[in-house]
Amino acid sequence: MEASSDAAIVARVLRGDAEAFRGLVDRYRDQYARYALHMLGNQEDAEEALQDAFTRAYRALPRCEDPERFGAWLFRILVNRCRTAGTRRGRRARTFVADEAALLGASEEHPEDRAAWREEIDRAVHRLRPEQREAFLLKYVEELGYDEMSQLTGVGVSALKMRVMRACERLRDLLSEVHSA
Amino acid sequence: MSAGLRTLVALALVARAASGQDPRLAQRLDKPTYVAVNAIVDSARVAKLPTAPLVDKALEGAAKGSDGQKIVSAVHLLSVRMAASRRALGSNATGDEIKAAATALGAGLSARDLARIRTASGKRPVAMPLAVAIDLIGRDVPVATATSLVIQLERSGVKDADFALFQRNVRADIDRGADPTVAATTRARGLVLRSGSAAPKPSE
Amino acid sequence: MRDDDIVNFDEIARELRKPVRVNRSFNERVMDSVLRLPRHARARLWKRLTTPRTVTITPLVWGLAAASLLLFASLGVIHAKEDLHRAAQPIAKALFATPVAATSRAQSVQFVLVAPDAKKVAVVGDFNGWDASHVAYQAQQRGGGVWSVTAPVPVGHHRYSFVVDDSLWVADPTAPRVIDTDYGLPNSAIVVEDDK
Repeated sequence: MEASSDAAIVARVLRGDAEAFRGLVDRYRDQYARYALHMLGNQEDAEEALQDAFTRAYRALPRCEDPERFGAWLFRILVNRCRTAGTRRGRRARTFVADEAALLGASEEHPEDRAAWREEIDRAVHRLRPEQREAFLLKYVEELGYDEMSQLTGVGVSALKMRVMRACERLRDLLSEVHSA
Repeated sequence: MSAGLRTLVALALVARAASGQDPRLAQRLDKPTYVAVNAIVDSARVAKLPTAPLVDKALEGAAKGSDGQKIVSAVHLLSVRMAASRRALGSNATGDEIKAAATALGAGLSARDLARIRTASGKRPVAMPLAVAIDLIGRDVPVATATSLVIQLERSGVKDADFALFQRNVRADIDRGADPTVAATTRARGLVLRSGSAAPKPSE
Repeated sequence: MRDDDIVNFDEIARELRKPVRVNRSFNERVMDSVLRLPRHARARLWKRLTTPRTVTITPLVWGLAAASLLLFASLGVIHAKEDLHRAAQPIAKALFATPVAATSRAQSVQFVLVAPDAKKVAVVGDFNGWDASHVAYQAQQRGGGVWSVTAPVPVGHHRYSFVVDDSLWVADPTAPRVIDTDYGLPNSAIVVEDDK
Protein backbone atom coordinates (compact mmCIF):
# COMPACT_ATOMS: atom_id res chain seq x y z
CA MET A 1 0.00 0.00 0.00
CA GLU A 2 1.48 3.36 -0.97
CA ALA A 3 2.05 5.87 1.78
CA SER A 4 -0.66 8.53 2.10
CA SER A 5 0.09 12.13 3.05
CA ASP A 6 -1.06 13.43 6.42
CA ALA A 7 -3.75 15.47 4.68
CA ALA A 8 -5.07 12.41 2.85
CA ILE A 9 -5.32 10.39 6.05
CA VAL A 10 -6.93 13.29 7.93
CA ALA A 11 -9.48 13.59 5.12
CA ARG A 12 -10.35 9.91 5.38
CA VAL A 13 -10.73 10.09 9.16
CA LEU A 14 -12.98 13.11 8.84
CA ARG A 15 -15.15 11.24 6.39
CA GLY A 16 -15.78 8.65 9.08
CA ASP A 17 -12.93 6.18 8.57
CA ALA A 18 -11.62 6.21 12.14
CA GLU A 19 -9.37 3.21 11.48
CA ALA A 20 -7.35 5.33 9.10
CA PHE A 21 -6.10 7.32 12.11
CA ARG A 22 -3.80 4.36 12.77
CA GLY A 23 -1.65 5.56 9.87
CA LEU A 24 -0.93 8.79 11.71
CA VAL A 25 -0.21 6.96 14.96
CA ASP A 26 2.31 4.74 13.15
CA ARG A 27 3.91 7.73 11.50
CA TYR A 28 4.47 9.87 14.57
CA ARG A 29 4.62 7.48 17.48
CA ASP A 30 8.36 6.87 17.65
CA GLN A 31 9.53 10.42 17.18
CA TYR A 32 7.12 11.84 19.70
CA ALA A 33 7.57 8.99 22.17
CA ARG A 34 11.21 9.97 22.24
CA TYR A 35 10.38 13.59 23.05
CA ALA A 36 7.84 12.62 25.69
CA LEU A 37 10.27 10.21 27.30
CA HIS A 38 13.06 12.77 27.57
CA MET A 39 10.64 15.37 28.89
CA LEU A 40 8.96 13.19 31.46
CA GLY A 41 11.77 10.80 32.35
CA ASN A 42 9.91 7.51 32.40
CA GLN A 43 8.20 5.30 29.87
CA GLU A 44 4.86 5.03 31.62
CA ASP A 45 4.30 8.78 31.85
CA ALA A 46 5.60 9.30 28.33
CA GLU A 47 3.26 6.73 26.81
CA GLU A 48 0.32 8.09 28.77
CA ALA A 49 1.03 11.65 27.60
CA LEU A 50 1.47 10.51 24.02
CA GLN A 51 -1.69 8.41 24.05
CA ASP A 52 -3.57 11.37 25.49
CA ALA A 53 -2.16 13.64 22.77
CA PHE A 54 -3.25 11.29 19.99
CA THR A 55 -6.74 10.99 21.48
CA ARG A 56 -7.08 14.75 21.81
CA ALA A 57 -5.81 15.21 18.27
CA TYR A 58 -8.42 12.77 16.99
CA ARG A 59 -11.17 14.57 18.88
CA ALA A 60 -10.08 17.99 17.69
CA LEU A 61 -9.32 16.88 14.13
CA PRO A 62 -12.00 19.01 12.45
CA ARG A 63 -10.20 22.03 13.89
CA CYS A 64 -6.83 21.12 12.42
CA GLU A 65 -6.38 24.08 10.11
CA ASP A 66 -3.55 22.67 8.00
CA PRO A 67 -3.87 18.90 7.68
CA GLU A 68 -0.66 18.81 5.63
CA ARG A 69 1.11 19.79 8.83
CA PHE A 70 -0.77 17.44 11.12
CA GLY A 71 2.52 16.36 12.69
CA ALA A 72 3.37 19.85 13.91
CA TRP A 73 -0.17 20.32 15.21
CA LEU A 74 -0.02 17.00 17.05
CA PHE A 75 3.36 17.94 18.47
CA ARG A 76 1.95 21.13 19.94
CA ILE A 77 -0.71 19.07 21.68
CA LEU A 78 1.95 16.71 23.00
CA VAL A 79 4.16 19.55 24.24
CA ASN A 80 1.19 20.82 26.25
CA ARG A 81 0.37 17.36 27.56
CA CYS A 82 3.93 16.95 28.75
CA ARG A 83 3.78 20.29 30.54
CA THR A 84 0.62 19.25 32.36
CA ALA A 85 1.94 15.79 33.18
CA GLY A 86 5.10 17.36 34.54
CA THR A 87 3.27 19.75 36.86
CA ARG A 88 0.74 17.19 37.96
CA ARG A 89 3.14 14.42 38.81
CA GLY A 90 6.24 16.29 39.89
CA ARG A 91 7.85 13.11 41.04
CA ARG A 92 11.37 12.01 40.41
CA ALA A 93 11.14 8.90 38.28
CA ARG A 94 13.79 6.49 37.13
CA THR A 95 15.23 7.51 33.82
CA PHE A 96 14.87 5.19 30.94
CA VAL A 97 17.83 3.97 29.01
CA ALA A 98 17.45 3.90 25.26
CA ASP A 99 17.08 0.69 23.31
CA GLU A 100 20.24 -1.26 23.94
CA ALA A 101 20.49 -2.61 20.46
CA ALA A 102 20.60 0.91 19.10
CA LEU A 103 23.21 1.83 21.66
CA LEU A 104 25.43 -1.09 20.94
CA GLY A 105 25.26 -0.71 17.18
CA ALA A 106 26.47 2.88 17.17
CA SER A 107 29.64 2.94 19.20
CA GLU A 108 33.20 1.73 19.46
CA GLU A 109 33.31 2.17 23.19
CA HIS A 110 32.75 -0.60 25.64
CA PRO A 111 29.01 -1.12 25.92
CA GLU A 112 29.07 -0.67 29.67
CA ASP A 113 30.78 2.70 29.38
CA ARG A 114 28.35 3.75 26.71
CA ALA A 115 25.31 2.75 28.75
CA ALA A 116 26.65 4.55 31.80
CA TRP A 117 27.33 7.70 29.80
CA ARG A 118 23.86 7.53 28.36
CA GLU A 119 22.35 7.23 31.79
CA GLU A 120 24.29 10.30 32.92
CA ILE A 121 22.93 12.30 30.02
CA ASP A 122 19.37 11.21 30.75
CA ARG A 123 19.75 12.05 34.40
CA ALA A 124 21.25 15.45 33.67
CA VAL A 125 18.55 16.31 31.15
CA HIS A 126 15.93 15.36 33.65
CA ARG A 127 17.50 17.61 36.25
CA LEU A 128 16.96 20.63 34.06
CA ARG A 129 14.06 22.88 34.89
CA PRO A 130 11.05 21.78 32.78
CA GLU A 131 10.99 24.87 30.55
CA GLN A 132 14.74 24.60 29.93
CA ARG A 133 14.48 20.88 29.23
CA GLU A 134 11.65 21.53 26.80
CA ALA A 135 13.61 24.21 24.93
CA PHE A 136 16.77 22.10 24.87
CA LEU A 137 14.99 19.03 23.50
CA LEU A 138 13.15 21.00 20.85
CA LYS A 139 16.32 22.73 19.70
CA TYR A 140 18.90 19.97 19.90
CA VAL A 141 16.96 16.73 19.67
CA GLU A 142 13.99 17.69 17.52
CA GLU A 143 16.20 20.17 15.64
CA LEU A 144 13.56 22.84 15.28
CA GLY A 145 14.25 26.45 14.41
CA TYR A 146 13.46 29.11 16.98
CA ASP A 147 10.46 30.36 15.02
CA GLU A 148 9.00 26.87 14.92
CA MET A 149 9.71 26.44 18.60
CA SER A 150 7.97 29.70 19.31
CA GLN A 151 4.87 28.60 17.40
CA LEU A 152 4.88 25.31 19.20
CA THR A 153 5.30 26.59 22.72
CA GLY A 154 3.78 30.06 22.61
CA VAL A 155 7.04 31.42 24.08
CA GLY A 156 8.94 34.26 22.42
CA VAL A 157 12.13 33.60 20.47
CA SER A 158 14.46 35.51 22.79
CA ALA A 159 13.04 33.76 25.85
CA LEU A 160 13.58 30.43 24.11
CA LYS A 161 17.17 31.28 23.25
CA MET A 162 17.77 32.19 26.88
CA ARG A 163 16.29 28.89 28.02
CA VAL A 164 18.42 26.89 25.59
CA MET A 165 21.52 28.76 26.72
CA ARG A 166 20.75 28.16 30.40
CA ALA A 167 19.97 24.52 29.68
CA CYS A 168 23.36 24.07 28.01
CA GLU A 169 25.16 25.81 30.89
CA ARG A 170 23.40 23.62 33.41
CA LEU A 171 24.05 20.44 31.46
CA ARG A 172 27.68 21.41 31.16
CA ASP A 173 27.88 21.87 34.96
CA LEU A 174 26.04 18.62 35.70
CA LEU A 175 28.00 16.50 33.27
CA SER A 176 31.34 18.05 34.22
CA GLU A 177 30.63 17.21 37.89
CA VAL A 178 30.30 13.59 36.89
CA HIS A 179 33.66 13.49 35.24
CA SER A 180 35.55 15.40 37.83
CA ALA A 181 34.18 13.15 40.61
CA MET B 1 -59.69 29.15 16.27
CA SER B 2 -60.74 31.85 13.77
CA ALA B 3 -58.39 34.60 12.68
CA GLY B 4 -60.53 37.23 14.39
CA LEU B 5 -60.52 35.44 17.74
CA ARG B 6 -56.78 34.91 17.50
CA THR B 7 -56.30 38.65 17.06
CA LEU B 8 -58.38 39.32 20.17
CA VAL B 9 -56.36 36.87 22.20
CA ALA B 10 -53.16 38.46 20.90
CA LEU B 11 -54.35 41.93 21.91
CA ALA B 12 -55.36 40.73 25.37
CA LEU B 13 -52.00 39.14 25.93
CA VAL B 14 -50.22 42.29 24.79
CA ALA B 15 -52.28 44.28 27.29
CA ARG B 16 -51.32 41.89 30.07
CA ALA B 17 -47.67 42.22 29.09
CA ALA B 18 -47.92 45.97 29.44
CA SER B 19 -49.06 45.51 33.05
CA GLY B 20 -45.77 43.76 33.95
CA GLN B 21 -46.70 40.11 33.79
CA ASP B 22 -45.01 38.10 31.12
CA PRO B 23 -47.74 36.54 28.96
CA ARG B 24 -45.46 33.69 27.92
CA LEU B 25 -45.58 32.37 31.49
CA ALA B 26 -49.35 32.10 31.31
CA GLN B 27 -49.13 30.39 27.95
CA ARG B 28 -46.55 27.83 28.97
CA LEU B 29 -47.06 27.06 32.67
CA ASP B 30 -49.94 25.29 34.36
CA LYS B 31 -51.99 27.42 36.73
CA PRO B 32 -50.39 26.48 40.10
CA THR B 33 -46.87 26.82 38.72
CA TYR B 34 -47.76 30.12 37.07
CA VAL B 35 -49.11 31.49 40.35
CA ALA B 36 -46.03 30.38 42.32
CA VAL B 37 -43.55 31.69 39.75
CA ASN B 38 -45.39 35.00 39.48
CA ALA B 39 -45.19 35.40 43.23
CA ILE B 40 -41.41 34.95 43.14
CA VAL B 41 -41.11 37.36 40.21
CA ASP B 42 -43.24 39.95 42.01
CA SER B 43 -41.10 39.68 45.16
CA ALA B 44 -37.98 40.16 43.09
CA ARG B 45 -39.51 43.20 41.43
CA VAL B 46 -40.34 44.71 44.82
CA ALA B 47 -36.80 44.00 46.01
CA LYS B 48 -35.54 45.73 42.83
CA LEU B 49 -33.83 42.57 41.59
CA PRO B 50 -33.88 41.80 37.85
CA THR B 51 -36.96 39.78 36.89
CA ALA B 52 -36.06 38.77 33.33
CA PRO B 53 -33.67 36.01 34.43
CA LEU B 54 -36.43 34.53 36.62
CA VAL B 55 -38.91 34.53 33.76
CA ASP B 56 -36.27 33.03 31.53
CA LYS B 57 -35.55 30.28 34.06
CA ALA B 58 -39.24 29.39 34.18
CA LEU B 59 -39.53 29.36 30.39
CA GLU B 60 -36.48 27.12 30.18
CA GLY B 61 -38.09 24.65 32.56
CA ALA B 62 -41.34 24.70 30.63
CA ALA B 63 -39.51 24.17 27.36
CA LYS B 64 -37.67 21.21 28.86
CA GLY B 65 -40.91 19.65 30.04
CA SER B 66 -39.98 19.86 33.71
CA ASP B 67 -42.70 19.42 36.29
CA GLY B 68 -44.06 22.49 38.03
CA GLN B 69 -42.31 21.78 41.32
CA LYS B 70 -38.87 21.71 39.69
CA ILE B 71 -39.60 24.93 37.84
CA VAL B 72 -40.67 26.70 41.00
CA SER B 73 -37.56 25.38 42.85
CA ALA B 74 -35.26 26.53 40.08
CA VAL B 75 -36.80 29.99 39.90
CA HIS B 76 -36.71 30.29 43.69
CA LEU B 77 -33.06 29.19 43.82
CA LEU B 78 -32.15 31.78 41.21
CA SER B 79 -33.92 34.53 43.13
CA VAL B 80 -32.04 33.51 46.28
CA ARG B 81 -28.74 33.57 44.35
CA MET B 82 -29.52 36.99 42.92
CA ALA B 83 -30.22 38.36 46.39
CA ALA B 84 -26.98 36.83 47.67
CA SER B 85 -25.16 38.32 44.68
CA ARG B 86 -26.40 41.77 45.49
CA ARG B 87 -25.34 41.41 49.11
CA ALA B 88 -21.88 40.29 48.02
CA LEU B 89 -21.43 42.90 45.28
CA GLY B 90 -23.07 45.80 47.08
CA SER B 91 -26.36 47.60 46.61
CA ASN B 92 -25.04 49.49 43.59
CA ALA B 93 -24.67 46.29 41.57
CA THR B 94 -26.31 46.54 38.15
CA GLY B 95 -28.79 44.04 36.75
CA ASP B 96 -26.12 42.57 34.47
CA GLU B 97 -23.73 42.15 37.37
CA ILE B 98 -26.37 40.47 39.53
CA LYS B 99 -27.32 38.15 36.68
CA ALA B 100 -23.71 37.19 36.02
CA ALA B 101 -22.98 36.77 39.72
CA ALA B 102 -25.98 34.50 40.22
CA THR B 103 -24.75 32.31 37.37
CA ALA B 104 -21.30 32.36 38.90
CA LEU B 105 -22.70 31.16 42.23
CA GLY B 106 -24.36 28.34 40.32
CA ALA B 107 -21.03 27.52 38.69
CA GLY B 108 -19.35 27.07 42.06
CA LEU B 109 -18.08 30.48 43.14
CA SER B 110 -18.88 31.45 46.71
CA ALA B 111 -20.28 34.74 47.97
CA ARG B 112 -16.83 35.43 49.35
CA ASP B 113 -15.35 34.96 45.87
CA LEU B 114 -17.83 37.50 44.52
CA ALA B 115 -16.87 39.97 47.24
CA ARG B 116 -13.18 39.46 46.47
CA ILE B 117 -13.78 40.08 42.79
CA ARG B 118 -15.68 43.23 43.67
CA THR B 119 -12.85 44.44 45.91
CA ALA B 120 -10.26 43.69 43.25
CA SER B 121 -12.29 45.57 40.63
CA GLY B 122 -12.82 48.71 42.64
CA LYS B 123 -15.31 50.87 40.79
CA ARG B 124 -15.06 48.92 37.51
CA PRO B 125 -18.04 46.74 36.56
CA VAL B 126 -17.67 43.06 37.34
CA ALA B 127 -20.03 41.53 34.76
CA MET B 128 -17.20 40.88 32.30
CA PRO B 129 -14.73 39.28 34.76
CA LEU B 130 -17.54 37.12 36.10
CA ALA B 131 -18.50 36.05 32.60
CA VAL B 132 -14.87 35.14 31.95
CA ALA B 133 -14.68 33.11 35.17
CA ILE B 134 -17.88 31.25 34.24
CA ASP B 135 -16.56 30.55 30.75
CA LEU B 136 -13.27 29.20 32.11
CA ILE B 137 -15.10 26.93 34.54
CA GLY B 138 -17.26 25.71 31.68
CA ARG B 139 -14.08 24.76 29.88
CA ASP B 140 -12.88 22.64 32.80
CA VAL B 141 -10.62 25.12 34.55
CA PRO B 142 -11.06 24.42 38.29
CA VAL B 143 -13.23 26.97 40.09
CA ALA B 144 -10.47 28.09 42.46
CA THR B 145 -8.06 28.64 39.57
CA ALA B 146 -10.57 30.52 37.44
CA THR B 147 -11.52 32.74 40.37
CA SER B 148 -7.94 33.41 41.32
CA LEU B 149 -6.89 34.29 37.78
CA VAL B 150 -9.78 36.69 37.33
CA ILE B 151 -8.97 38.40 40.63
CA GLN B 152 -5.33 38.75 39.62
CA LEU B 153 -6.34 40.24 36.29
CA GLU B 154 -8.70 42.66 37.97
CA ARG B 155 -6.00 43.73 40.43
CA SER B 156 -3.73 44.42 37.49
CA GLY B 157 -6.30 46.80 36.05
CA VAL B 158 -7.08 44.72 32.96
CA LYS B 159 -9.86 46.33 30.92
CA ASP B 160 -12.95 44.65 29.46
CA ALA B 161 -11.50 44.63 25.95
CA ASP B 162 -8.42 42.80 27.19
CA PHE B 163 -10.60 40.39 29.12
CA ALA B 164 -12.44 39.61 25.91
CA LEU B 165 -9.16 39.05 24.09
CA PHE B 166 -7.92 36.86 26.96
CA GLN B 167 -11.07 34.77 26.70
CA ARG B 168 -10.72 34.37 22.92
CA ASN B 169 -7.06 33.41 23.21
CA VAL B 170 -7.69 30.84 25.93
CA ARG B 171 -10.49 29.34 23.86
CA ALA B 172 -8.24 29.15 20.82
CA ASP B 173 -5.46 27.53 22.83
CA ILE B 174 -7.81 24.92 24.24
CA ASP B 175 -9.17 24.24 20.76
CA ARG B 176 -5.61 23.57 19.65
CA GLY B 177 -5.21 20.97 22.35
CA ALA B 178 -3.81 22.93 25.28
CA ASP B 179 -4.73 21.95 28.80
CA PRO B 180 -7.38 24.46 29.95
CA THR B 181 -5.64 25.37 33.22
CA VAL B 182 -2.28 25.82 31.53
CA ALA B 183 -3.84 27.86 28.73
CA ALA B 184 -5.69 30.15 31.14
CA THR B 185 -2.71 30.60 33.47
CA THR B 186 -0.28 31.23 30.61
CA ARG B 187 -2.48 33.80 28.93
CA ALA B 188 -3.25 35.49 32.22
CA ARG B 189 0.45 35.71 33.02
CA GLY B 190 1.10 37.41 29.69
CA LEU B 191 -1.69 39.88 30.25
CA VAL B 192 -0.58 40.75 33.76
CA LEU B 193 3.03 41.19 32.67
CA ARG B 194 1.93 43.53 29.91
CA SER B 195 0.02 45.58 32.45
CA GLY B 196 3.15 45.79 34.60
CA SER B 197 2.25 43.75 37.69
CA ALA B 198 3.65 40.55 39.19
CA ALA B 199 2.79 37.32 37.40
CA PRO B 200 -0.30 35.46 38.65
CA LYS B 201 -0.11 32.04 40.26
CA PRO B 202 -2.67 29.35 39.42
CA SER B 203 -4.11 29.39 42.93
CA GLU B 204 -3.71 31.59 45.92
CA MET C 1 40.99 16.32 31.15
CA ARG C 2 39.30 19.66 30.44
CA ASP C 3 35.68 19.72 31.54
CA ASP C 4 34.55 21.59 28.45
CA ASP C 5 35.91 18.90 26.12
CA ILE C 6 33.69 16.33 27.80
CA VAL C 7 30.45 18.10 27.13
CA ASN C 8 29.82 18.05 23.43
CA PHE C 9 26.22 19.04 22.77
CA ASP C 10 26.10 17.62 19.29
CA GLU C 11 27.12 14.29 20.69
CA ILE C 12 24.54 14.56 23.45
CA ALA C 13 21.91 15.44 20.88
CA ARG C 14 22.89 12.48 18.68
CA GLU C 15 22.61 10.24 21.71
CA LEU C 16 19.20 11.57 22.63
CA ARG C 17 17.95 11.19 19.08
CA LYS C 18 18.38 7.46 19.23
CA PRO C 19 15.15 5.48 19.02
CA VAL C 20 13.36 4.65 22.25
CA ARG C 21 11.38 1.56 23.08
CA VAL C 22 7.61 1.88 22.96
CA ASN C 23 5.29 -0.79 24.36
CA ARG C 24 4.03 -3.07 21.61
CA SER C 25 0.45 -2.53 22.77
CA PHE C 26 0.72 1.27 22.47
CA ASN C 27 -0.86 1.52 19.03
CA GLU C 28 -3.73 -0.70 20.09
CA ARG C 29 -4.35 1.35 23.20
CA VAL C 30 -4.50 4.55 21.17
CA MET C 31 -6.85 3.03 18.61
CA ASP C 32 -9.03 1.58 21.37
CA SER C 33 -9.56 5.02 22.86
CA VAL C 34 -10.00 6.62 19.42
CA LEU C 35 -12.58 4.07 18.29
CA ARG C 36 -14.59 4.65 21.47
CA LEU C 37 -15.06 8.28 20.44
CA PRO C 38 -17.81 9.38 18.05
CA ARG C 39 -16.72 9.06 14.45
CA HIS C 40 -16.20 12.20 12.46
CA ALA C 41 -18.99 12.36 9.95
CA ARG C 42 -19.25 15.02 7.31
CA ALA C 43 -17.09 17.41 9.32
CA ARG C 44 -15.36 18.36 6.09
CA LEU C 45 -18.71 19.05 4.54
CA TRP C 46 -19.44 21.46 7.37
CA LYS C 47 -16.11 23.20 6.74
CA ARG C 48 -16.84 23.31 3.02
CA LEU C 49 -20.25 24.75 3.64
CA THR C 50 -19.02 27.43 6.00
CA THR C 51 -15.95 28.48 3.99
CA PRO C 52 -16.75 31.42 1.68
CA ARG C 53 -16.30 30.60 -2.00
CA THR C 54 -16.72 32.46 -5.27
CA VAL C 55 -19.47 30.91 -7.33
CA THR C 56 -19.85 31.57 -11.05
CA ILE C 57 -23.34 31.33 -12.49
CA THR C 58 -23.83 31.08 -16.25
CA PRO C 59 -26.71 32.90 -18.04
CA LEU C 60 -28.40 29.54 -18.64
CA VAL C 61 -28.43 28.78 -14.92
CA TRP C 62 -29.78 32.27 -14.19
CA GLY C 63 -32.55 31.69 -16.70
CA LEU C 64 -33.48 28.34 -15.19
CA ALA C 65 -33.44 29.83 -11.69
CA ALA C 66 -35.73 32.67 -12.77
CA ALA C 67 -38.12 30.20 -14.41
CA SER C 68 -38.21 28.06 -11.24
CA LEU C 69 -38.98 31.13 -9.14
CA LEU C 70 -41.89 32.04 -11.41
CA LEU C 71 -43.17 28.49 -11.19
CA PHE C 72 -43.01 28.39 -7.38
CA ALA C 73 -44.52 31.86 -7.12
CA SER C 74 -47.52 30.80 -9.15
CA LEU C 75 -47.88 27.60 -7.12
CA GLY C 76 -47.76 29.79 -4.03
CA VAL C 77 -50.68 31.88 -5.25
CA ILE C 78 -52.72 28.74 -5.88
CA HIS C 79 -52.11 27.50 -2.34
CA ALA C 80 -52.42 30.91 -0.66
CA LYS C 81 -56.05 30.53 0.25
CA GLU C 82 -55.43 27.19 1.96
CA ASP C 83 -52.54 28.65 3.95
CA LEU C 84 -54.39 31.75 5.12
CA HIS C 85 -55.78 30.14 8.20
CA ARG C 86 -52.32 29.07 9.27
CA ALA C 87 -50.84 32.54 8.67
CA ALA C 88 -52.11 34.03 11.95
CA GLN C 89 -50.04 31.67 14.14
CA PRO C 90 -46.58 33.02 13.28
CA ILE C 91 -47.88 36.57 13.85
CA ALA C 92 -48.99 35.79 17.41
CA LYS C 93 -45.68 34.10 18.10
CA ALA C 94 -43.75 37.05 16.67
CA LEU C 95 -45.68 39.41 18.96
CA PHE C 96 -44.38 37.64 22.03
CA ALA C 97 -40.96 36.69 20.80
CA THR C 98 -38.18 38.24 22.82
CA PRO C 99 -37.43 41.52 21.09
CA VAL C 100 -33.77 40.62 20.76
CA ALA C 101 -32.49 43.57 18.81
CA ALA C 102 -34.57 46.06 20.76
CA THR C 103 -33.16 45.32 24.21
CA SER C 104 -29.42 45.41 23.45
CA ARG C 105 -26.93 45.22 20.64
CA ALA C 106 -27.28 41.88 18.87
CA GLN C 107 -24.77 40.12 16.67
CA SER C 108 -25.43 37.49 14.02
CA VAL C 109 -24.27 34.13 15.28
CA GLN C 110 -24.15 30.95 13.26
CA PHE C 111 -25.26 27.77 15.02
CA VAL C 112 -24.40 24.45 13.42
CA LEU C 113 -25.36 20.93 14.41
CA VAL C 114 -24.67 17.66 12.64
CA ALA C 115 -27.80 15.55 13.05
CA PRO C 116 -28.27 13.25 10.07
CA ASP C 117 -31.48 11.63 11.36
CA ALA C 118 -33.21 14.82 12.46
CA LYS C 119 -36.37 16.14 10.85
CA LYS C 120 -36.27 19.47 12.66
CA VAL C 121 -33.59 21.38 14.55
CA ALA C 122 -34.13 24.58 16.50
CA VAL C 123 -31.86 26.74 18.62
CA VAL C 124 -33.32 27.72 21.99
CA GLY C 125 -31.79 29.86 24.68
CA ASP C 126 -32.17 32.70 27.08
CA PHE C 127 -32.20 35.05 24.09
CA ASN C 128 -35.43 33.69 22.63
CA GLY C 129 -37.37 32.49 25.65
CA TRP C 130 -36.31 28.88 25.02
CA ASP C 131 -38.95 28.79 22.33
CA ALA C 132 -38.34 25.91 19.92
CA SER C 133 -40.87 27.31 17.48
CA HIS C 134 -39.33 30.79 17.26
CA VAL C 135 -39.22 31.52 13.56
CA ALA C 136 -35.81 33.13 13.47
CA TYR C 137 -34.06 30.24 15.18
CA GLN C 138 -35.14 27.31 13.04
CA ALA C 139 -32.14 25.61 11.48
CA GLN C 140 -32.16 24.66 7.83
CA GLN C 141 -30.91 21.39 6.39
CA ARG C 142 -27.75 22.03 4.39
CA GLY C 143 -27.20 18.50 3.21
CA GLY C 144 -25.29 15.58 4.65
CA GLY C 145 -26.96 15.84 8.03
CA VAL C 146 -25.70 19.38 8.63
CA TRP C 147 -28.20 21.87 10.09
CA SER C 148 -27.46 25.55 10.52
CA VAL C 149 -29.05 28.87 11.25
CA THR C 150 -27.63 32.36 11.56
CA ALA C 151 -29.64 34.35 14.04
CA PRO C 152 -29.35 37.42 16.27
CA VAL C 153 -27.99 36.98 19.78
CA PRO C 154 -27.49 39.95 22.11
CA VAL C 155 -24.01 40.87 23.22
CA GLY C 156 -23.19 39.11 26.47
CA HIS C 157 -23.14 35.73 28.10
CA HIS C 158 -25.92 33.30 27.17
CA ARG C 159 -27.10 29.76 27.68
CA TYR C 160 -28.58 27.80 24.81
CA SER C 161 -29.18 24.36 23.40
CA PHE C 162 -30.41 22.62 20.27
CA VAL C 163 -33.80 20.94 20.25
CA VAL C 164 -34.04 18.13 17.72
CA ASP C 165 -37.48 17.02 16.50
CA ASP C 166 -39.14 19.03 19.29
CA SER C 167 -38.11 16.38 21.79
CA LEU C 168 -34.37 15.81 22.07
CA TRP C 169 -32.17 18.39 23.81
CA VAL C 170 -28.64 18.39 22.48
CA ALA C 171 -25.84 20.56 23.81
CA ASP C 172 -23.57 22.14 21.23
CA PRO C 173 -20.58 19.77 20.99
CA THR C 174 -18.30 22.66 20.04
CA ALA C 175 -19.22 24.95 22.93
CA PRO C 176 -18.46 24.82 26.64
CA ARG C 177 -21.10 23.28 28.86
CA VAL C 178 -22.91 25.26 31.47
CA ILE C 179 -22.92 23.67 34.88
CA ASP C 180 -26.68 23.72 35.10
CA THR C 181 -28.33 21.21 37.37
CA ASP C 182 -31.76 22.79 37.49
CA TYR C 183 -33.51 20.69 34.88
CA GLY C 184 -31.14 17.85 34.18
CA LEU C 185 -30.76 18.61 30.48
CA PRO C 186 -27.59 20.04 28.96
CA ASN C 187 -27.01 23.67 28.10
CA SER C 188 -24.17 25.26 26.24
CA ALA C 189 -22.65 28.65 26.83
CA ILE C 190 -21.86 31.33 24.33
CA VAL C 191 -20.27 34.71 24.80
CA VAL C 192 -21.17 37.19 22.10
CA GLU C 193 -18.85 40.12 21.76
CA ASP C 194 -19.66 43.53 20.45
CA ASP C 195 -18.30 44.12 16.98
CA LYS C 196 -17.61 47.80 17.58
